[in-house]
Amino acid sequence: MDLLVEAGAVLASSLDLATTMGQVARLTVPGLADLCVIDLRDDDGSIRDVAVAARSESIPGDLEELRRRYPLDPAGGHPVARVIRSGEPVLLPEMTSELLSSFAQGSEHAKFMIENDYRSAVVAPLLARERTLGALSVLRLGDGDPYSAQDAELVYELARRSAMAIDNARLFSELRSVERRLEAILANLAEAITVVDEHGRMVFANQAAADLLLIDTPEDLMAQAPGTIMPRFLVYDEHGRQLDLEQMPARRLFRGERAEPLLVRNIIRTTGEERWLIVRSSAITDPQNGEVLFAVNVFENITQVKRVQLAESFMSEASRVLASSMDYGETLQRVARLAVPQIADWCSVDLLNERGEIENVAVHHPDPEMVALAQRLDRDYRRTPDEVAGVPEVLRTGEARIYTDIQPEALAAYAHDNGHLQLLQAIGARAVIIAPMFGPAKPIGAITLVSSESLRRLSNADLALVERLARRAGTAVENARLYTERTVIADTLQRALLPRSLPEIPEAQLQAHYSAAGELNQVGGDFYDVFQYGSDGWMLVIGDVCGKGPRAAAGTALARHTLRAAAMSGKSPTDMLGMLHQALLLQPAEADLCTVCLVSFRRTSENAQLHVALAGHPPPLLIDQHGDARAIGRPGTLLGVLDTIEINESQDTLRPGETLLLYTDGVPEAGRSDRQLGEDGLMRLCRNAPQLQLRELLEHIQEAAVEHAGGRLRDDLALLALRLTP
Amino acid sequence: MLGLCGELDLASAPLLESELENAVLGPSSTIVLDLNELGFIDSTGLRTILSAHERARERGGQLLLTGCSEQVKRLLSIAGVSERLRTITSPDGLLV
Repeated sequence: MDLLVEAGAVLASSLDLATTMGQVARLTVPGLADLCVIDLRDDDGSIRDVAVAARSESIPGDLEELRRRYPLDPAGGHPVARVIRSGEPVLLPEMTSELLSSFAQGSEHAKFMIENDYRSAVVAPLLARERTLGALSVLRLGDGDPYSAQDAELVYELARRSAMAIDNARLFSELRSVERRLEAILANLAEAITVVDEHGRMVFANQAAADLLLIDTPEDLMAQAPGTIMPRFLVYDEHGRQLDLEQMPARRLFRGERAEPLLVRNIIRTTGEERWLIVRSSAITDPQNGEVLFAVNVFENITQVKRVQLAESFMSEASRVLASSMDYGETLQRVARLAVPQIADWCSVDLLNERGEIENVAVHHPDPEMVALAQRLDRDYRRTPDEVAGVPEVLRTGEARIYTDIQPEALAAYAHDNGHLQLLQAIGARAVIIAPMFGPAKPIGAITLVSSESLRRLSNADLALVERLARRAGTAVENARLYTERTVIADTLQRALLPRSLPEIPEAQLQAHYSAAGELNQVGGDFYDVFQYGSDGWMLVIGDVCGKGPRAAAGTALARHTLRAAAMSGKSPTDMLGMLHQALLLQPAEADLCTVCLVSFRRTSENAQLHVALAGHPPPLLIDQHGDARAIGRPGTLLGVLDTIEINESQDTLRPGETLLLYTDGVPEAGRSDRQLGEDGLMRLCRNAPQLQLRELLEHIQEAAVEHAGGRLRDDLALLALRLTP
Repeated sequence: MLGLCGELDLASAPLLESELENAVLGPSSTIVLDLNELGFIDSTGLRTILSAHERARERGGQLLLTGCSEQVKRLLSIAGVSERLRTITSPDGLLV
């Protein structure tokens, strides 16, 4: 029994197969055997000895040599082969020379067995999970007692226990080889991988993980005490909120929560380098109770991708903001807000005012107290354009500057006095970028970005981004300034081109509306006019001179005055249009194209007689008392392009309660080309006409057109409406 | 034959103008403008086409339109030039 106890200890001690079997074999000698051989069957069926122990020193070597030269035939009569085949133990109490010769693998083998005086043997199968793994043979040589059945039982038991140990060792070695393969894969993956237990101890890390976490080797990384890695970094989520260890996906897993992949912005405290990482964690659970044993973390470094993406989305957002309004003071403040905390902790915008002074127009930091600090700095220590460094320098040279790793001494040297230094220290600039905003000739301002408490290092990529931003902002400011000037001029001119007020027509209401196209603060080509025509009539004119700007303005003036002059000399609508056509053809260079709609109006006893003449212009609408609209007039040639024109006058009647609506193509063509308001859309808008005052109707149409155009009209629009007073 | 696509407006008309200038001065007496891919024409675009038509006519040639969308047809009709600008259904017959 002592043997089994000892064997138990040996078998439990190691999982290395050869070592363990050697120990088991040696245990049996000399108490139980003079010679012990353990054979195993390989996967291909061949039999090989894995352990030999003997009282004689020479036997193990000789036997192994013999076995190598004469391997046991798995199908032969050798007791080991038979036991392995049958799975049944064999007790050979007395072995004669004849018996030995009968199963020897040749004469040399027989000679060896006879010379070493093989006497008595027990061969027991090594059985595990109903598979025969091999055989354990014990032999007595020479004069010893032959084996009894009791001895045999002991050997069987030893074999049974050994088999289990062999089986475990095999499983373990298979597992080890799978593990080794997995480890080799993980170690070579580009993604950083760590495996942590619930105490935060790292049980595995690959080289990529070590590199990411700034530790030389995976072994050094695994040797770090739990919780000592994360404090080396500042970790934020994508919205700039600082994250702690408990918010990491792995910690969530151990708390039994779901762990979604987490995008983190990671800044190395010592260097300020910024990285963007996606952290994914999955749990390795205990199959018995489902408890989380380990969390596998995979860190994907997406810094490059994220930088480009952020820069692009930042620029497009900034461009959108800059284009959104012509109030540049407000848009620059919004741009400053956009830059924080994405790019830096502070953003400030300075402009040169008309007196050549540097004026801070926008400053942003998430903390209002810090903003107040910056405002105090600007107020108490206003920079003058002749200062050597900082914004004044950039405004003078037009060259962007980047200051990285600003040292306390540098601040002290820059400060004017103690108070200035204290403010600068409170702002805590660690890195600064200043980029010039250009006007047409020279810098008109500068954008300053400051990295302070986030420790974020500003790179040359950031410099390029800020330069782009500053260029864009410079253009926007310049445009806004020009816009303001030109809007005033255009407004003045446009008002000069349109009738100052509409005449009073007896027993009729008249209303006009004009909207200039969206952002272009230029004079448009749409015009309208109403004047007396003959002794008892009125002429309603609406038209469109192709193009915008000064040329269109000249065309508009020409059209209005020619038509008025022609009307006064008593010309018919067709002749009025003919005169304008000739006048346009006489214009120098490229003829101006012009479309005109004339409607003359003459009151009869109850109604009004309408004369319509169209020259390339959309026909006016006649809206009846139910809101049904129909186009009136017949198409005629537009003016100023072709040699000859053809005008077809037509007549209609306007009844009380009905509305006459003249419009320019800016109305139906409002909106993108594939989904314009259209004439149908305009007619639908007219359905409400009977319930609306003329002013309300025109506002309603104008609003719908602007809405349809997404707030930005690409062409100006004019509307003129007439209704009989009931 | 010239194929147009996109939108013909204030911004793009000068491009067509210079192309048409070349075409009008070229050896062929017939210019076909394929408007099949054209989404939209405004008045500037229309003037460009009409000017080319006038110049081609002065030289004894002609300008034909094909692939006119409803919008273009409507514009031509309002402009009162439908009868002057010949439109054809398919340009294939002219390419022999």
